[in-house]
Amino acid sequence: MAENYISDSMLDMFLYETGQMIESLENIALEKQNDDGFDEASVNEIFRIMHTIKGSSGVMMYQNITMISHKLEDVFYYLRESKPTNVPHSELIGYMMDVASFITEECDKIKDGREPDGDCTELHGKIDEFLSMIKNDIKKSGSELPAENKYVEPTQFYIAPATNVSSHHFHIVVHYESGTEMANIRAYTMAFNLKDIAEDMYYLPEDIVSNPDTAKDILDDGFKVAIQTMSSEKEVLEIINRCVGIEKIDIKEVDESDFANLAGVKEEKTTLQYGGLVIDLDGPIPDSNNETAKAPEKEALTVQKTQPVNPLGDEKLEGKATDKLAELADKGKEKKAAEKPKGEKREVQRYISVNVNKMDELMDMIGELVISQAFVLQNPDLKIPGLDLTNFNKAAGQMSKITSDLQEIIMSMRMMPLANTFQKMNKIVFDVSRKLGKDIDLKIIGEETEMDKNIIEHISDPLMHLIRNAVDHGIESKADRLRAGKPEKGLIRLEAKNEGGKVWIIVKDDGAGMVKEKLIAKAKKQGLLNNRNEKDMTDKEIFNLVTLPGFSTNETVTEYSGRGVGMDVVVQNLTSVGGSLDIESEEGKGTTFTMKIPLTLAIVDGIVVSVGESKFVAATGNIQEFICVTNDMVIKEPDGGQGIMIRGECYPLIRLKEYFKLKDGIDDIEKGVLMIVEHEGRKAGLFIDKIYGEQEIVVKPLPPYINKVKGVSSCTQLGDGSISLIIDIAGIMKGA
Amino acid sequence: MDDDFLLEEDTQKGKFMTFICGEEYYGIEIRYVQEIICMQKITEVPETPPYVKGLINLRGKIHPVIDVRIRFHKEPREYNDRTCIIVTEVDKIVVGLIVDTIAGVVDIKEEDICPSVSIGKDSTSFIYGIGKIGEEVKLLIDPKKLLSEDVAEQLGNIAQ
Repeated sequence: MAENYISDSMLDMFLYETGQMIESLENIALEKQNDDGFDEASVNEIFRIMHTIKGSSGVMMYQNITMISHKLEDVFYYLRESKPTNVPHSELIGYMMDVASFITEECDKIKDGREPDGDCTELHGKIDEFLSMIKNDIKKSGSELPAENKYVEPTQFYIAPATNVSSHHFHIVVHYESGTEMANIRAYTMAFNLKDIAEDMYYLPEDIVSNPDTAKDILDDGFKVAIQTMSSEKEVLEIINRCVGIEKIDIKEVDESDFANLAGVKEEKTTLQYGGLVIDLDGPIPDSNNETAKAPEKEALTVQKTQPVNPLGDEKLEGKATDKLAELADKGKEKKAAEKPKGEKREVQRYISVNVNKMDELMDMIGELVISQAFVLQNPDLKIPGLDLTNFNKAAGQMSKITSDLQEIIMSMRMMPLANTFQKMNKIVFDVSRKLGKDIDLKIIGEETEMDKNIIEHISDPLMHLIRNAVDHGIESKADRLRAGKPEKGLIRLEAKNEGGKVWIIVKDDGAGMVKEKLIAKAKKQGLLNNRNEKDMTDKEIFNLVTLPGFSTNETVTEYSGRGVGMDVVVQNLTSVGGSLDIESEEGKGTTFTMKIPLTLAIVDGIVVSVGESKFVAATGNIQEFICVTNDMVIKEPDGGQGIMIRGECYPLIRLKEYFKLKDGIDDIEKGVLMIVEHEGRKAGLFIDKIYGEQEIVVKPLPPYINKVKGVSSCTQLGDGSISLIIDIAGIMKGA
Repeated sequence: MDDDFLLEEDTQKGKFMTFICGEEYYGIEIRYVQEIICMQKITEVPETPPYVKGLINLRGKIHPVIDVRIRFHKEPREYNDRTCIIVTEVDKIVVGLIVDTIAGVVDIKEEDICPSVSIGKDSTSFIYGIGKIGEEVKLLIDPKKLLSEDVAEQLGNIAQ
């Protein structure tokens, strides 16, 4: 069966979905790791996730994934049904993470075109043990174990019919005109239509689709339907009347208690009808009527929306049948998933992936559009005196608005918050610290900081290294921490912020810090010092030793770090996107790694200013204030340097006109504007002509041909399509 | 596909985009030429050699432009509506060349090109040959030299 319908796209979809679900599983686990247990909503959610994975992996014939997800699903089934209070929570989280890693690993194998041949028996056994332990506890506490077979339980698709007070229960008997052909198919069509409004429904005869003989029964006895619905009798009738060939409809409202008792049929049989129906549909349909041929797939798709079966809570249904039903539903979902990612319930963001090149093209095209718009709107032909341009200007204004909106959207499309990447670090901290027996908190700050997606991809590996390092080497063991008078729980801060046109990602631990002498000794031993006199080295240089290839201070190589690769890879990765790594450390207090990543394309708020004819942009974050000054505030130093005294503080004065050797611009300090900028605690006054306004700017690197220009960090395209240079405030301050 | 490609290569062979700068005609192999655009607004970049006029925005891409007149040590002159920018691409680096006037595309056979030995080496080493069409003479520019080596070096010096 598998070979028949597993196509590449299905496989992709399976991988994509499973990946997403595993991600949300991990998120839930990590969210709750510090709580005492799972709340009901998360238990349900996890159950749903595992169930869906089980179903879809079953369809894809990945036995081991099915097996392990089934086991975990089992556990959560018991959690949900029995609500045991004494579940070892951290152990459970551990198992969840193990299962998540296992499935991720298998999915990676599938991605690489290999067989997912991972062995999950050990994990399976462990979870099994864990499960029986909980079960024993439940037994001891004297409460009943929930029924064994859980497949029939409400799942993502089979939410138990919530009997609503306002629900109506109807018994309907539909009689068809005698001589109607294929009455069974007609009946099925009607039942199918009714499902949209039904909270619960079943009908007689049950096997209408698979058994053409039922057509006769329907003609003789009528088609009996029991339906629980919020809709009124009139609405139900309306739906039934949509079908043709009906002679007579008997509809009567019944009590809830009588609901299941449809025409005196045996109860346990009725409950199976729905399940049976769908499964029959999967097989070849004897009656290959057009209508029914379409039905199976449609059926599978709609199943999830309806809330069928089991109003009696009958646990003894044939598990196999309903399991298959679940699979079918999953299969149906597989097809639909492209437009509707799983894991509903909460508001889920929807994504499609687009080739980045197309995005670039679109971005360029929009840039072009803006320019040609400017050409049109500022066309010299419009300048002819006496033209009435009122209407033109109105339309032009509207158009300008649309194009600028367009531009904004395309720019924001490339940006992604770091949240996702940061969340992954949670898992790493959890995994590694658990295995190392450390207790560590990861505090995340500024995860909403946005970065270009390409850059995010580049930094996720380095970040992982840094976090691992911090957990492994940075934070001491519990005993050591207590001895040093620190709280037992270690703390790692992961912070992102926009700073002077760069994004800083800071990983800070409160661990042991690095000992300079040790670093030097180690570097010497490994011959990495290159005959440098260690006394000449600054702190920075010493700490940077750890980024040399082959340098590792950890005596024992652990699973996570200490092999001497890592830090140099971090630096390599960072430099490949033009970033840098700063290391600061204080013995006994901890280590701080700061990744400074340029924001090629990152959107920053900038203020457009002008000097003479040229326009420049300065990152708003660096600007403290704009101020008009008078001549007597200027302090001239004998060596030609200038300063400016503002409110009792003296700032170096930099005239951009002179700095950039521009031809035109204002010299008189009282006619221009002074822009007070700040970088890393230092301040300076930049003298400019005029402020134009604030704008979100997309930073583009200078073309390689231009190389580096002093005082200019990059350039950007202004709204009118012209190019403006971005002032490298940090660079200017260095010279100041 | 391959045939097409070869054909295209072939049709481009021996073709030169010629332009006038000052008194002389110059030629540049057409395969380096991406497009020709009319004069646009140029954003000046400070601290670059005088012939680097600045940056232009070409469909969202930012490219540097250099003034060929100044590059060839000629007197700069006002740009007019005949002034054009030849957008060239050499080794993935796109640079616009500001020239006085475009003179069109000409065929120059290989045997009509003689190497430029007589011309001074230093300043004009980016001229690799002289093409003859009848009585006319075109100075053939090697854009690789014009753009990368020479300039990169100079720019590098400035950056330091």
